Amino acid sequence: MAYLSMGEAHRRITDYLSCFSAALLSQDGPSLTPLLLVSSNSPLLLSVAHALDVFSEWPRLVDQIDDQVQLFAEIVSPLLRCLQSFRAGQFAEAYVSFEKSANAFLQEFRNWESSWAMAAMYTVAHEIRILAEKADKELALLGKNPEKLQAAGSFLMKVFGVLAGKVSKRVGALYITCQLFKIYFKLGTVHLCRSVIRSIDTARMFDFEEFPVRDKVTYMYYTGRLEVFNENFPAADEKLMYALMHCNPQREANIRMILKYLIPVKLSLGILPKLWLLEKYNLIEYKDIVSSLKSGDLRLLRHALVEHEARFLKSGVYLVLEKLELQVYQRLIKKIYIIQKEKDPSKAHQVKLETIVKALKWLELDMDMDEVECIVAILIYKNLMKGYFAHKSKVVVLRKQDPFPKLNS
Amino acid sequence: MNLSQTFELESGSTRSNQPYICNCACASREVSCSSPLPPRRLSDLRRRLHRRRLSPHLKPFAAQPLCHRLRSSEIPSRSPAFANRNSGALLWNLQHLVVALEQIKIQTMAGYQSNTYNNQNNMWNDGSFGSYNVQHYPSYSASCASSSQSSSSIPGNNSHLQYQYNQWPTYYNHPTSSVSAPATEHLSTNPPVHSVAGGYPYASSQPPPPGTTSWGRGSSASGFPTIQGTAEVAGQNLSSVWEARPPGLQMQQITQVSSYLQKPLETNPVSDNSEDQQKNIVTQGSNLQLSSTNKVSEKFQPPLQTVAMMDTHRVAKIQIPTNPRITSSLPLATPKAEKEIPMNNATLKPAYINVSVSKLNNKIPSHDDSEAIFKMETFPPSLRAYVERTFARCKDDAQRAANKNLLKEMITKSSTDGTLFTRNWDIEPLFPLHIAISDKADQNNMLNSGTVSLSIRKRSPTRRHKSRWEPLPEEKLAEKLTPASNEPAKGANWNQISETETVADTRKHEPKDDGWGRGKFFASRQQNSLNKVVQRPVKKPRFSDTVLTENADGSSDSDKEQGLTKYYSGAMALANSPEERKKREHRSKRFEKGQNHSVEYKPYSPKVAGAGNFHSRRASSLMPAKNNDSSSSKSVEDIDRHALTVRGTCQEIEKCYLRLTSAPDPATVRPEDVLEKALQMVQASEKNYLYKCDQLKSIRQDLTVQRIRNELTVKVYETHARLALEAEDLPEYNQCQSQLKNLYAEGIKGNHMEFSAYHLLCMILHSNNKGDLLSSMARLSAEAKENEAVKHALAVRRAVLSGNYILFFRLYGRAPNLNACFMDLHVEKMRFEAIRCMSKSYRPRVPVAYISQVLGFSRLTPTEESAELVDGLVECEDWLKAHGAVLTVDDSGELQMDTKITSSSLYMPEPDGAVPHGDANLAVNDFLTRTS
Repeated sequence: MAYLSMGEAHRRITDYLSCFSAALLSQDGPSLTPLLLVSSNSPLLLSVAHALDVFSEWPRLVDQIDDQVQLFAEIVSPLLRCLQSFRAGQFAEAYVSFEKSANAFLQEFRNWESSWAMAAMYTVAHEIRILAEKADKELALLGKNPEKLQAAGSFLMKVFGVLAGKVSKRVGALYITCQLFKIYFKLGTVHLCRSVIRSIDTARMFDFEEFPVRDKVTYMYYTGRLEVFNENFPAADEKLMYALMHCNPQREANIRMILKYLIPVKLSLGILPKLWLLEKYNLIEYKDIVSSLKSGDLRLLRHALVEHEARFLKSGVYLVLEKLELQVYQRLIKKIYIIQKEKDPSKAHQVKLETIVKALKWLELDMDMDEVECIVAILIYKNLMKGYFAHKSKVVVLRKQDPFPKLNS
Repeated sequence: MNLSQTFELESGSTRSNQPYICNCACASREVSCSSPLPPRRLSDLRRRLHRRRLSPHLKPFAAQPLCHRLRSSEIPSRSPAFANRNSGALLWNLQHLVVALEQIKIQTMAGYQSNTYNNQNNMWNDGSFGSYNVQHYPSYSASCASSSQSSSSIPGNNSHLQYQYNQWPTYYNHPTSSVSAPATEHLSTNPPVHSVAGGYPYASSQPPPPGTTSWGRGSSASGFPTIQGTAEVAGQNLSSVWEARPPGLQMQQITQVSSYLQKPLETNPVSDNSEDQQKNIVTQGSNLQLSSTNKVSEKFQPPLQTVAMMDTHRVAKIQIPTNPRITSSLPLATPKAEKEIPMNNATLKPAYINVSVSKLNNKIPSHDDSEAIFKMETFPPSLRAYVERTFARCKDDAQRAANKNLLKEMITKSSTDGTLFTRNWDIEPLFPLHIAISDKADQNNMLNSGTVSLSIRKRSPTRRHKSRWEPLPEEKLAEKLTPASNEPAKGANWNQISETETVADTRKHEPKDDGWGRGKFFASRQQNSLNKVVQRPVKKPRFSDTVLTENADGSSDSDKEQGLTKYYSGAMALANSPEERKKREHRSKRFEKGQNHSVEYKPYSPKVAGAGNFHSRRASSLMPAKNNDSSSSKSVEDIDRHALTVRGTCQEIEKCYLRLTSAPDPATVRPEDVLEKALQMVQASEKNYLYKCDQLKSIRQDLTVQRIRNELTVKVYETHARLALEAEDLPEYNQCQSQLKNLYAEGIKGNHMEFSAYHLLCMILHSNNKGDLLSSMARLSAEAKENEAVKHALAVRRAVLSGNYILFFRLYGRAPNLNACFMDLHVEKMRFEAIRCMSKSYRPRVPVAYISQVLGFSRLTPTEESAELVDGLVECEDWLKAHGAVLTVDDSGELQMDTKITSSSLYMPEPDGAVPHGDANLAVNDFLTRTS
C-alpha cells in the first residue's frame, strides 16, 4: 500500500472516530452501519485499517474523543482493534475484539428506545457470524478448538432476547433468528433451533406477517429444512414452498438452495419435477432419481444414491432419497400389474411373487423370495399398494380398483 | 575503567555504583592485558546508544502484538491474566521478548521510554537492556552473519575483549534462566546458540513427557545461553584457547561426551556451564522463543502458583541427572585451567568481601515490613490483619523478607484482578512459609547441585541468610545438601521457594521480577570474578530504576547482591570436593530415574522418599493452589492442572471405584504398569459385570488423574465399552464411547473401526436425530466404509430405516464383533413392527414357523435344524401370544397366526424389566439379576 504519513493516518482515524461518535449521538443508523462492516472491503475501512497500522498510538485518540455515549470507547476501541487484526489476517483475534465491541454495542442498544440502530444491529449480527466462521477456520488450521461460532451463537441469543423483549425492536428478531439458524446448521446443532422457533411460532407477540420478507423467506427455508430432517414432508413442503414463492426470483442461487430440499420433499410426496427445472437450477443429481421413479428402475436409484452419496449426506437429504426405494418398488409392481392387465385383465390383480423376483433379476438385483415378500408386505403396510399377500400361494392379491393409490391423496 | 564508565553511562543512573566500579576496576585489571577497549570506540558506542534511545520510533505496540501472538500460541488461557498485569515486570518481560525478536529490539527500547505506558521501569529496562543488546550482538555479528541488524547497531569492529565482556552479563543470567524468564529470552537473542540447539541430536532422545513440553522447553532454552557462556568463559580464561573452543563446544553437544569440554569445565568456576550444557542436551532445544514467552507469562503468576512451582521443580530435575557427567569430567581438567581458577578466586574475592555488607540482611526485612505496612494503609482492615498474621509467624528477618515478598505478590495480584476488597482475608489461608523456606534450600541444592551448589560451601556461613532456615548448621554444608535434596517431598513449593529465595537473596534487586533476580543470583554464583566485574555495571542501572519503583530497596541492592555473589562464588570451590561429588552422583542417579515423568510429582525413589513424602509434597502443592482459588476467580483457570497430576504409587492391582471428592492421593493411585495388570485381571476375571465395571471405572479414574492417554487408555475404554455393551449398560457404554472418540481423534491406535460401527449403530438404534446420523455417515472415511463392521452397521441402518425385518434378522445372524448387542436392543421393536406389518398385509394366515424363522427366533442352520427350530417355535409362540397375536391351528395341524384378528389385537406389552420410574438401569435388583 502507498506510504501513509503519520498525520494522514491520524486524520483518518480521527475522522472515523468522529463519524462514529456523531452517528451515535444523532442516532443516525444509515451512517453508522457502514462503519461496522469490518469484513467488507469498503474503501473507508480499508484506509482506516491502514492508518491504524501506521499510527499505532490510536488508543489515545479514542480517549480524546469527547464521548457523549457512555460506552463509546468500549465499542470503538475493540472495533478498531478488530479491524486491525482482521486486516492482518488474524481472524481469531479479530473475532475476540469484535465480540467485545458487540457486547458493548448491545448494551447501548438495549437502552435506546427507538429502533434507529436496527440496521447497525443487523450488521453486527452478520459481521460476528462471518468473523466467527473465519476465526474458526483459522483456529482449526492451528489445531485449536474452533469454538468462536458457538460463542457467536450465544451472543446472538442475547441479541434475540433484547430484540424480542421490546415492541419497537421486535421486527429485528427474525433476522437474528435467521443468523442463528445459519450458525446452528453450520455447527450441526440444529436442535438448538427449536427454542428460537418456539418463541417465534407460538409467542403471540410476533405477527409473522409483520417481519420483512427477506427474513420470512430465510426463516421458512431453515424451518423447512428442519422438517426435512424430521421427515415431516407435508410441513416441509409447505414451508419450502412459501420460501420459494416469496423469494426474489432473480436470485437463482437462493432458488436453487430451496429446490435442493424441496425436490426430495416433493418426490416423497409423489410429485416429480420437470427435467428442465433440474437443468435450469443445476440440480442434475436428481435426474437419475426422478427417472428411476418414473421407470421403477431400482438399480438406477441405488446407483444414483451411491454416486452422489457425499453430496446428499452433506445436504441431509440422503435418508429422504433412500426412502424413495419403496416408491420404486411400487412403480415396478405397478408396471407388472399393467402388463398383466394388458394380457389378461381378469387375472391382472394377482401378481405372483416369482414374477417380481424375476423382474428384479432383470435389474440385476438378486433378491430371494423372503426378501421380496417382505418388501411387498411393507408396501401394503405403508399403503403404497392396496391388497393382501397370500403367504401360502406366494401371490400378491391387489385390490380391484385403484390398487396403487396416489401418495399425495 | 573505561568499561565501568560505559556501563555507568548507559545505565543512566549514577546511584550506588560504588561496588561495581570497584569490581570493574578489578576486572579491567585482569582483562586489560588481553585487549583494552579503545576509549574512542567506547564513546562512539555510547553516543550511538544515546541516539538510539532518543529515536522517534515510539512503537510499543509493534512489540505487543508479537508477544501476544507468541504467547497465545503457547498458552492461550493465560492471556487475560497477562494483559491485566501491566506492571513493571510485564513491561520488562515484554521488552525481553522484544529483544528476543531481534528486529524490533531497538525501537522497542526507545518506544518504551517515551511511551505513556512506561513507568519508571523503562529506565531500568532500557539501561540494562540497552547495554545488553548492543554489546551482546556485536559479538555475534562477527560469527553470525544473520545478525546483521544487530551488528549494524554497533560498530562492527568491537574488540574481542569487549565482546567477551558484554557477553558475560548475558551469560550470567542464563544459567539461572531455568528459573528466570529474562535469561530465557536471552537465549533467543543468540543466533549462534540457536543453530547449536538445532543440531542437537539428543534433543529428541529426551523429549519432555506429554503435557510438560512447555516446561521442558523452557528449561532447555535456558540452557542454551549457558553454552554460549561456556564458550565465553573458555575464551576468557584461556584466552589463547579461545579460538579453538567453540568447535569443541559444538562437538560436545553433539556427542554428549562429557570428556570433551573438560577443559573449560575445569578451567574454572565454569563447571556450572558444563552442567548447563548437559542440561541442554537432556532437554529439548526447540522453540526457544516460544518457551521464553511462556516463561514470561508464567512469571507473572503469583508466587504461590503451582504452575510456576512445577517449573522450577522440573528444572531442578532436569539439571540433576547431568551431574555425574560433570563430576566425572572434572578430574580431566588440565593443569593450566586448575591453576587459573584459584588465581581468579583469590584475586577477585577481596573485591567482593570489601563491598559486601552483611548487615544488610537484617536491615532489609525491616524495610520490607515497613513498606508493606505503608502500603497497607489503603487496604481493608481484614487484609491488614492478615498481613500481620503472616508476619507474626516469621521467626527471623529472612523469613520476614520472604513473607513480605509473598504478600506483595498476593496483594498485587488481587488488586489487579479486583479481589483486593472483595476477598475475605479473614479466612484466607496463610501460605506455607516454613515449607517454602526449607524447600528453598532444597531448590538451591537441586538447581545448584552441579557446580552451583558448590559455591554454597565456600561461602562463609555468616553470609548465607538462607542458612537460618535450614535444619543443619552452615558449616556442614556438604552434609546438608544431601538431606535437603533427599526431600523432594517438599518440592511442591518450588516456586514459592524460589520466591522466598529471591526475597532473601536477589529479590531485593528486582522486586518485580524474580526471574531477573534469580538470574543475578545465579550469575553471582559463578564466582568467576572477571565476569562478575563485567556484570555488575550492567545490572546496576536496573537497581537504580528499581529504586524508583520500589522507593525503598534500591540502596541495599548492590550491597546485598555483593554478599550473595560472594557467598556463591565461595561455594563453587567446595563443589569439587570428592565427597560432594559422590553425593551429587548419588543424587543425580536418583533423579535420572524420575526424569521421564518430569511434571508429575513422582516417587523419586520409594525407598528414599517414601509415600509420606508424596503426601506432604502434594499437600504443599495444593495449598498454594487453594490460595489461588480463593484469591480470585481468574486464578481458577490459572491453576495448571498439570500441577495436580499425580503420579501414583499404589501397587494394589484391585481397587474399588470411588468418585473423587478431593484431589487424588498418589498413594491410592496406581501407576501405569499396575494398571495394565489390573486390566488383565479384569479381563480374566470370572466375576460379574458389576465387579468388572467397578474395577474398570477405578482404572479409568487412575488413568485420568495421571493424565495417561495412550494405547493402554484406549484398551481400558474399549474393554469397558464392550463389557458395558454385553451387559446392556448403555450409560457406561456412552461414557466410554465418547472418551474413545477423543482418544482416536488424538491418533492413538485402537479398534477404531469396530467402535465407529458401534457409534453408527448407536445412532441408528437409539437416537431419533437424523441429523446426527447423517453427519456421522458423512464423516465416515472411505477406508471405514470398506470395513466389515462398518458395512454391517450401515446395512443395519438401511434395514431399520426401511423396516426390512428380513434383512435385519439376517444381519443379526452374521453380526461381527458386538454389533449384535446393539441389535439386541432393537430386536423387540423390530419384531413388533414386523408383526404389525404382517398382520396388515398377509391374509388370511401366516404360519408361526415362518414368523419364527424370519424374525430370528430360530436360526436355520442345516446341522441343528430340527432342534433349533422347535426351540424357536415355542419361543416365537410365546412371544406372539404375549403381544396379543391370535394363533390358530389349521387343517394340516400347523400353527398359524390369524392376521385379520391379530391386526386389531396387537399390543406392545410392558417390558419385563419395567420399573415405575422408567429407567430399568436404576433398579438395582433388576440390574443385579441381569448382570450377575
